[in-house]
Parts: sequence; structure tokens; C-alpha cells
Amino acid sequence: MSIISLQGLKKTYKLGDNIVQALAGVTLDIAQGEFVAITGPSGSGKSTMMHILGCLDRPTEGKYMLNGKDVSSLPRDELADIRNKQIGFVFQGFNLLPRTTAVENVEVPLLYTRPVMPAAERRERAMKALTAMGLQDRYDHHPNQLSGGQQQRVAIARALVNEPTLILADEPTGNLDTKTSIEVMRILQELREEKGITIVLITHEPDIAAYGTRIIAVRDGKILSDEPNTPRSTLEMAPEQIMVTAN
Amino acid sequence: MFALMPVNIRLALRSLSRNRLRTLLTMLGMIIGVAAVLTMVALGTGARASVEGEVGSAGTKLVFVHSGNYIRGGASVGIEEGSGGADTLTLADMNAIKSEVQGIKFISPGLSTRTSVTVGATKAFAKIEGVAPAYSDAYSWDLKPGKMFEDNSSQAVVGRALADQLFGKGSNPVGKSMQIRDQVFEIVGVTSGESEDHKDTVFVPYQKLQSALGMQNIKEIVIAADKAGEASRIGEDVKKVLRKRHGQGNGAAKSYLSAQAGSGTSPDDFTVETQAAQALTKGLYTPAAAFALANLPKLDEVNLEEMADTLDHASDTMTALLASIAGVSLIVGGIGIMNIMLVSVTERTREIGLRVASGARSSDVAMQFLIEAVTLSVLGGLIGLVLGLVASRLIGWSLAWPVSVSFAAMGLAMGIAAAVGLVFGIYPARRASLLDPIDALRTE
Repeated sequence: MSIISLQGLKKTYKLGDNIVQALAGVTLDIAQGEFVAITGPSGSGKSTMMHILGCLDRPTEGKYMLNGKDVSSLPRDELADIRNKQIGFVFQGFNLLPRTTAVENVEVPLLYTRPVMPAAERRERAMKALTAMGLQDRYDHHPNQLSGGQQQRVAIARALVNEPTLILADEPTGNLDTKTSIEVMRILQELREEKGITIVLITHEPDIAAYGTRIIAVRDGKILSDEPNTPRSTLEMAPEQIMVTAN
Repeated sequence: MFALMPVNIRLALRSLSRNRLRTLLTMLGMIIGVAAVLTMVALGTGARASVEGEVGSAGTKLVFVHSGNYIRGGASVGIEEGSGGADTLTLADMNAIKSEVQGIKFISPGLSTRTSVTVGATKAFAKIEGVAPAYSDAYSWDLKPGKMFEDNSSQAVVGRALADQLFGKGSNPVGKSMQIRDQVFEIVGVTSGESEDHKDTVFVPYQKLQSALGMQNIKEIVIAADKAGEASRIGEDVKKVLRKRHGQGNGAAKSYLSAQAGSGTSPDDFTVETQAAQALTKGLYTPAAAFALANLPKLDEVNLEEMADTLDHASDTMTALLASIAGVSLIVGGIGIMNIMLVSVTERTREIGLRVASGARSSDVAMQFLIEAVTLSVLGGLIGLVLGLVASRLIGWSLAWPVSVSFAAMGLAMGIAAAVGLVFGIYPARRASLLDPIDALRTE
């Protein structure tokens, strides 16, 4: 069963007098448990696609079915509830709240769960998610006391805390060094393998896209190619490291 | 929406504590505004309460007619002197006043002496007042315990302090007897009247005191007007009646100006005083002040309503002044809060984006910022409350102005603070809630 189904998705923006077509008709199905890497240069429309997939934006035209439900034209509040329950976001800049402890950062999505979740349950679930990321000892650390990799792991814990069926990762390794990037990719692969969570990864780095089970290349708002991929093992060394070794 | 209140308040406090100086400066307007509101109410209600107390205890409706004329004067100041103390008033005078002057509710003759009273073995020196039963009504005594004596009876009413002195504190002397000179009176009531020296006086029917003192005339007539504010008019009418009866010229010279104008003929042999004049001159012991007041033309036309009006006016002026300070600082404080909240929304755009991505609805975001604004204003309000308490005490103490701070006033001040936060927080909160999450997440 496909968790995501896009049919003729179009998105146009008005930029001054110009009309920009960010998405020019995208039709796509993503099945549950896939690890889809969407690649493309900047301006290709991959970010717009991710915003629509994340229910942060609505398409101008076309249909978006998420878990069998048409969400293309839902009102804002219902989209908020869908983001809350079904989608976990991982961002390039981590987007952790400063001067807020790790566990409180993880709790954020639980604050907006309806019906309202009691504080004790929020804390318990957030701690569980942090523990899954191996950060239980750092629960009371502020983001500036954590390394980049740890910060991204807190962000992943936050994305997972409401047990979503879909994780949208927007350039999650953009701010990380190679070693940490691989670590993060391993976590995403494990989530897919162990929990069957569908992962959509947006990246412009082919190396990172290679960790997916399917690679979709986007250009000018259209799908250029859509190929299954044998995911690269996170046990392999990254090309940069090979080069370093070679030298 | 409200279930997240504790979380939102905690978030607000945390974000406010991150920038303490900024928070404090933002709250300054609120602090001053609330302090001004509180001080204003404290001074206003304090003044009003004291005026009301004055009006209540002084008995605004009373007019006194004394025999004799104590006007001071002499050739040096060009004012004719009064005739001094004399027994010039009669019961017939009183009856004439009663029948000829309109608007009198109660009227009582009065004469007094100071002598010793004996209860068993206890002896005390006290003032004895001979009055009619209507005296009790004129002063609105609440006789607890007991009742007013009957006319021309051998009954007496004693003041509370004297009763305490003679029979023990808080005792009930009703039914007991007391000896005044060679007459025995049965005590029928105790008055705790606040006015004048009622507390230390024994009241007996005036006929008994007349016979004891061998007097035909009376010293004083106490008149209670039907309506407050009529005292001065009644006083004037009483003067006319008495001048006619006593054969004195109309408009006896009293003041320097009228003496110069030569309008007077002979001085009155009585004095008419309203309660207001008495209240005003009470406590002025310096001869100069007493002279000035006693000779002030038309002083007895000042009634307590006018006095109350004057005081009210003064407190109104003060209130208006403070209200404008309060109003301006609350508006400025509110704008300050709005300003800083708008800055905060801009600074925290990414946070808003993240919250929206995590499933926060627009109303959740709006609520968070609204609560932050209200927290800011209420915190400022609390500080202002403390400041206002100190300020009103200080002003009350330095200007000898009565202050009263009620819980209602404090509640009002805090309510205003919260309302300001709410009103000026709405716009920034709305701005935050309408942020496009995509733009919000993109902001660096």
C-alpha cells in the first residue's frame, strides 16, 4: 500500500510580476517502508515538494493522498494535526530550541497532541525517544552543550516521539561532518528496517542519496528519474575518507 | 487551548528570564502605570472615607444657638465686641424658633454645669447636660443599652466613658441609680455618641437641671435640620427670629467690612453656629486662628456638604492627575510590550516554524505569545503593586492625606495590568500565528 500518492501535483508562486512554477506536475507513489532520496540542485523544486509532502504547504493543482486520505485541500488546523501525528521532521539546521534541554526539545510535538497529553506522559515518551537515540544521559543538556551529531539525534528523537509513519528529512546531514553524516544515515536506515517507518530524504549530495532504497532526481519541477537503489551500507567508508587513506 | 496554560506560562517565564534587562525595561511602563493606579485609588478612597467619616460623625444637620456673644474685637480692629456669656435664651425663644422657622426636625434646649456625681461609694466630677428627649434624635444616638429618658423625669443617660469609669468597663448601668448633688436619677440608657464630649457627660431632663441650678433661662438651643445643607439657612432664619424677639437691629455688625460700612447697630446677645463652623474652629487653639475664624464673615454659612465638596474636589483633582499619569504610562507600557513582543516574534521565527511543523495550530502559537505578553504585563503589574503600596504610604505620610488600599483596588490594578497585556499582546500574537511556516523555517 502506498503511503504517499501524488497525482499531477503542481505548485506555482507569484514572485512580483513573475509566476514561478516550482512543481510542474509530479506524479509519484511511495510505499510504506521505502527510503526515498529526492535529489536535485537548488531551484529544482525538491524543497517545494518536501513542504507539500510535509503538509506545510498546499499544492496549487493536483492531489496528495497521505495514508489514503486526500490532504491537498485540508484546512490549516487539520494539516497541523496530521503533521503532529503522522509526520516527523528532521531539518538541516536541527532547529532545536536554544536554552531548552534536550528532553524538553523532544517534548515539543507532544505539546500539540490532541487530546492534551499529561506532562508526566510527555516526559516519559520523550525520555524513551531520547534513549532510543542513545542520549538518555544527556537529557538535561542544552543544545549548545551537545555536538552536531548529538543535536541531530535529539532532533530525530523529536521527530520520532509521536510515532509517525513518515519521516521527512530535509538535508539532515548538511551541517554535519562525514562521519556524523554516516551515523545519522545509519539511524535512518535502522528506523526503516526495524520499525518500517517510511523515510523521504531531500538532499543534493549523491553520496547521501545513495543510502536510500530509491532515488528520485528532480529538475525544473519535474521528476527526471526514479530508480530503485541498493542502499549503500553505512559500514562502508565515505569516499572522502578513501581519498584521505589513498593519499 | 487552555490546557497548555501551565506550559505556556513556564515558556513565557523562561523566555522573559533570558533577557532580564530587556524584560525589566519593557515592564517599566506597566510598573509606573499600575503603581499610579493603585496610589490614585488609595488616595481617592482614603480621602473619600475620611470626608464621609467627618460628615457622619459631625452631624451635618445641626445648628447651635448659644446665649451670649463671644465675638472678639475691640477698637483696635474696628470690630464691635460681643456681649460675652449671658443667659439670654429662653424656652419661649425656642418655641418661637420652632414655630416660625421652617425645616426644623428636632429641637432641644440645653444647659449644663460641671459637678460631682455619686454612685454608691464612687464619686466623679462630670459635665451634666440638661436637654429634652429630642436631643437624642438630633444626634442620632444609638443607645446601647437602654433608651432616652422621658421628659421632666428623674431619669438620666450617661456617656459610655463615664459609665465605664463609674460602673466598670463594658458594664450595663441601666436600672442603677446615681446621685447628682441632692437629686437621685435612674439611669435608663448609655450613649456611645462620638460627637463632642458626649462620652463623659450625664444627660438629664433640662427641667431638673434648671431647678437644681435655679435657672429660668437656657444656655443653648440645639436644632437638627430636616435636610442636610439647610443648616445655614435655618441659622439665618433663627437669627432673624431672635433679633426681632430680643429687639436687636437687623444685621448686627460683626465683620470689619460691615463695621466700616456702618451698617450695624447693636451686637446680638446670642450666637448662631452651624456644626460646620464648629467643626472648623474645633482644635484651633491659637488665639490668632480662633480670632480669624470666629470673625470670618459668613463662616457659619459653610456647611459640611460644602466642606465635603471641597475635600472631594481636592481628591478629584489628585485622582485626575494620577489617572492621567496612570493612563499614559499604561498606554506607553502597553506599546512597549507590543514592541518587544513583535521583536520577540521576529527573533523566534524559527522557533515558531518548528512548532508549526511539529503540529502546533495557529491558535497554539497565538496563545503562547499572548500568554507571554500577559505574563510580562502581570509581572510588571506585581512590581507596580508593591511600588504603589509604598508610594501611597509615603504620600499619605508626607501630605498627611488619608490612604486606604483595599484588596479590590489591588485586584483592579492587577486586572488592568492583565488587560493591557492582553490588548497589546493580541497584535504580536496574531502576527506570530500567521507566519508562513515555510518562511519561518527558512529564516536563519
